[in-house]
Amino acid sequence: MRNTASTSLSKGKIRQSWSKYNLYNLQRFRKPTTASRTFFQQKWTAKAAARAYHGEQVREGQWKRMFSKHIRSVIPMNTTDLAADDGSKESAGRGSGLSETSSRNRSRPIPFTQMAFAPLERRLDVAIFRALFASSTRQARQFVIHGAVTVNGQKMRHPSYLLNPGDLFQVDPDRVMYATGAPKTAFERREARQMKQKSAEPEAEAEAEAEQTKAKPETTEKESAKDTLRALMSQAKTIMSTDKDVLPAKRKQELRGFQKAVRRVLSRSDTSSVLTDNLEAQFSQLTLLLNAKRAEKKPAKGSERETQDKKTSPTSTKSGEAASNALSDAFQAAAEGGEVDTSELTDEEFDVLRHALTQMRDNPIDHSKPYATPWRPRDYMAPFAFIPRYLEVNQNICAAVYLRHPVARPGSAEVPTPFGESISTPAYGWYLKRRW
Amino acid sequence: MAPRIQPQRVSNALLPYLTSSTSSSTSSITPTSTPLSSPILSRQFSVTPAPQTRLRRQMFLWLTTKGAALKHHTPGETNYLTGRDKDDKSGGNPRPFPGNSSFLSESVLSEELRNEIYVRVVEKKKSVRAVSVEFGVDMKRIAAVVRLVELERRQRAQGKPLALPYARAVHEMVPTTPLAQEGEHPVYHESINDLPAHPSTGAQIFYPVPESRSFNRVDAGRVFSGAPALEIDVAAKISHPSDLIDDIVQNPNSIEWVGKGGNARQVLQPADVRIPHPQLVQLERDRKAFPNERRTVTERHNERLKKQEEAEQKRREVAQARREKSVQHVEPEGGRFNYRIQDAKFTKETVGVDGRAPWAPGRRYGIPADDRKRGIVKIPTRVEA
Repeated sequence: MRNTASTSLSKGKIRQSWSKYNLYNLQRFRKPTTASRTFFQQKWTAKAAARAYHGEQVREGQWKRMFSKHIRSVIPMNTTDLAADDGSKESAGRGSGLSETSSRNRSRPIPFTQMAFAPLERRLDVAIFRALFASSTRQARQFVIHGAVTVNGQKMRHPSYLLNPGDLFQVDPDRVMYATGAPKTAFERREARQMKQKSAEPEAEAEAEAEQTKAKPETTEKESAKDTLRALMSQAKTIMSTDKDVLPAKRKQELRGFQKAVRRVLSRSDTSSVLTDNLEAQFSQLTLLLNAKRAEKKPAKGSERETQDKKTSPTSTKSGEAASNALSDAFQAAAEGGEVDTSELTDEEFDVLRHALTQMRDNPIDHSKPYATPWRPRDYMAPFAFIPRYLEVNQNICAAVYLRHPVARPGSAEVPTPFGESISTPAYGWYLKRRW
Repeated sequence: MAPRIQPQRVSNALLPYLTSSTSSSTSSITPTSTPLSSPILSRQFSVTPAPQTRLRRQMFLWLTTKGAALKHHTPGETNYLTGRDKDDKSGGNPRPFPGNSSFLSESVLSEELRNEIYVRVVEKKKSVRAVSVEFGVDMKRIAAVVRLVELERRQRAQGKPLALPYARAVHEMVPTTPLAQEGEHPVYHESINDLPAHPSTGAQIFYPVPESRSFNRVDAGRVFSGAPALEIDVAAKISHPSDLIDDIVQNPNSIEWVGKGGNARQVLQPADVRIPHPQLVQLERDRKAFPNERRTVTERHNERLKKQEEAEQKRREVAQARREKSVQHVEPEGGRFNYRIQDAKFTKETVGVDGRAPWAPGRRYGIPADDRKRGIVKIPTRVEA
């Protein structure tokens, strides 16, 4: 949901957000005219535009205290150049080299003022947004406040925490998937509602079902594992109840954690993760099956199918309808855990099927999630997808390390800003203690 | 309200999973373009047309025409507002913002490269410095990658939820540095020898030097830090600034100090010493000096690396030992805490001139603690790893 208060079309301000409104504003933004405007007016406009994007959630006074006129920059050094001479050539003559065309003189200028808002990039909420873990800084802020973010393994509830170089922050993967995934459709929302209602029904039924599942011969191994877990849990409970006064608190904590873990494992059969468990088992079975079938089929593949089939992309439903129908039938059969009839499929379709099954394992349909499943990126995400170099991100676990403070280098600045020098320079001048 | 798109039921259950067979998780549903000319037709229960301002109309017009290409991404390609054609302008790095030519979307490490770095450092026990040079990845990044991959492995082992489809999608949208196949030339990720601009080099200094003298990087550093010029016989011993590397790498405390009291500072060293990989300058010099003796050059380089690593290791151990020595661990029997007791240092810096500075350790009579006062920032400034 876009923040209607902060992303308006009439003002046309650019925000740190992936909303399509913001994308449109970004696209139609033109640098303000300077003709017939005083220098003060120019600076005011530039500062207003820049602040609407940089730290819009930060009070002006707070930002003024953070601002620093000192800007970090680096020069990439070439070791061959350094080894070639001791620098006396550069200082020869009147101090800038005898010959004008020295290789090092050709470097591009460093865009210093583009780094004016670099101190804000240290903030935890901004860093979460930059690591692509939230769709806007305000959402990142909410994640922090709601306790979904840890810094160096400890829960951090202050969005204004300034990261230090080497800090590792991690966001709850489910929240990230929710923030960056496509929203649910009405149909999916209804499915989720129905599922909820079902699970809320009396637990007697569930217990009866559990009894039934126990009876099944194929799950005996799992059940035995569960039994041992249960035994362990009861043991832990007894320890807790009897030796309450004797045990040191640390041990108590461990025991409580252990109990929790056991409970999580035991309650799996009631939640959605059992679906994924089943999928896992199904998947391994299916891949085995498919491999076997494929090996059988290989000698016969010769002339039956034309190369046309390869061209028919699996996504286009119009062309090659019959073939894709067979494919989708096979997929459905596979997803439901039945026998797969692969005799009608081409090699290409085999690969597609396998690929689809792999993706299904990682990305299952699960209506209990708050985002549309199977997960897919939300619309208009790609125009905003970039990760600055001062962060090292591991998307699998939704964790990132703040390596160092952002720096400027010849020709480029690391602070992501949609504005050019015509905005950032007057804005930088505005915040200097001795204003230009 | 935006023109509503009727939720179309996708009949084919296969659709969301079936995309290009290379690797992708994008939805293959083509953007359904609603006919803009008849927004009223899609609203079956309302007679009055939805209020649409001019700006909203323009926005939805743009989103359905030019902006439609931005809705979904093509795996392996960036999809920025600046378009794909302008990519080669800045050395292959695309610019995400049309108004800012100095911000580039730089590539991230691919999954394979990340895992390879982890394997080299943790399993093959290669030094961070060597791996950094090999892949062209900053040493800090290498350390971070090792940390993150370690964490990922632990979470996988624990069966914690992962965001795999999300990770795949992001790696499709963002430029990535691939892991070079065997026999291929490695793709360097970033420049590893970045020299941070020292604040003292910002001053413009007029420093007359006789033409008969050569004024090199060592001399420039001394001038910037306000140190007297080197004695002639000392200066004559330094044929190249990289001669200083060995001593300083072995013992960083050997750098000369100038100034007094709070103004004391170390003499600014030449760039050859201050870059993260000074040994590469020495390697280049050796290559120039012995162009036909590759083996000798490599041996000398390896020896230097080994010496440097030993020195660093020794320094780390000494620091750790000193830390251990200063801290006394006390664990009361049956208690819940492990107390770490450290002696307070009673110096002017730690407790102030009168011994009652607000930052001094412990509680002092008449010096109230600020940790619960109104108006004092209580947000932590650091979190221990």
